[in-house]
Amino acid sequence: MINPEFLNTYLLSIVIFSLLLNTALALYGIFYKPHYIKKVICLTILSDTANTFAIYIGYRRWLNDGTINPRPPVLPTTEVSPGVLSQFLARAVDPLPQALVLTAVVIGLAVTVFLIFLGHQLYLHYGTLDMRRIRKLKG
Amino acid sequence: MRSLFKILLIIFVVLGFSLLLTLASEYFIPGMEVRPLAIFYLSTTLNPWMQNLTANSPEAVTAIVWDYRGLDTLFETAVFYLALIAGISLARGISLKANPGKEGGLSVIVKSVTKITAPMIIAVGASIGLHGHLTPGGGFQGGATIAVIPLLIIIVFSIYYLLNRRVTKENMLMLRSIGLVGIGVTALAAFLTGLVLGESAYVFQNMAKPTSPVTFPATLNGFLISGSLWFFNFFEMIAVAAGFTIAFLLLTYPSRSEGEEK
Repeated sequence: MINPEFLNTYLLSIVIFSLLLNTALALYGIFYKPHYIKKVICLTILSDTANTFAIYIGYRRWLNDGTINPRPPVLPTTEVSPGVLSQFLARAVDPLPQALVLTAVVIGLAVTVFLIFLGHQLYLHYGTLDMRRIRKLKG
Repeated sequence: MRSLFKILLIIFVVLGFSLLLTLASEYFIPGMEVRPLAIFYLSTTLNPWMQNLTANSPEAVTAIVWDYRGLDTLFETAVFYLALIAGISLARGISLKANPGKEGGLSVIVKSVTKITAPMIIAVGASIGLHGHLTPGGGFQGGATIAVIPLLIIIVFSIYYLLNRRVTKENMLMLRSIGLVGIGVTALAAFLTGLVLGESAYVFQNMAKPTSPVTFPATLNGFLISGSLWFFNFFEMIAVAAGFTIAFLLLTYPSRSEGEEK
């Protein structure tokens, strides 16, 4: 019989290691894939992986006895009493990484919009989005 | 066969290294407690006993985004705006081909379904944006949801359907500017009110502070609107929806570039 706590940690480790591998694959794609659109896709994968790491920083450990399972940082009611507030404090995860990731998502989207326009313009200018061919054109 | 081998290899590497990480788990698994800063944010987000510190919003993330770290979000909006300006100026050489006369698009079935779902998507986007201070979501997410509609209409009905109904680049730019001016005015509102009343007040002030009594209304007609947060979300929603519409319009213009034969 496997210890459930060990299994929990193992599942979490799979997530974290997959994120690390994701980072490596995205970097590989950015540096070695010759097509412009593939580079942009890999850049978005890289930024999303980094955002997932940031969310993970604010996470709270889950206990199986059902007492302090983590909750999103949203109060379920507007009728606040001291009991509701202390329960909220005991359960909610850290909201700051989520707010920072929200900012990062918007800025990442802005960069992506700009890169897409740039790619569109590159295509109109050179007739291709293959970086090897664009380099040979010397224009 | 080779791709199957590759996938199996990746799966085994992930599982194996995860096992190693599990054995070293003491160093990275999250703790039971959150940081003291998070405790502060969580305990003041809606707290009637600390009226000088609270943001009066049950949604801690929105409270951080538009109240505690409002300047951060203002510059983020500026980055988004500048990226769109850069995109528009890159697309400057593009001019629209003449209207072909009849509107194209997909079949009648797809058009009818789109006509039914479009108002629903707009309603969902508006509720995400306007309830941003109560539930997860906010101006940016709501605006991005609403911006799905122009893209859907461009694909299903053709771009001329939008352009004939005055959803043009210029009009969307104006709508976007209205949203940004609204964000700026909301940020300055408490400060300007303080100047008029002769009280001290801050830029980006939401609720009354110990050093300044100027305050946004926390409730309007009995409904919690969390002061400036509702206005920020509303204007951000307009700005983001219009901004994405500009990007989609420019990227799908059936264009000829400058100097090409007519």
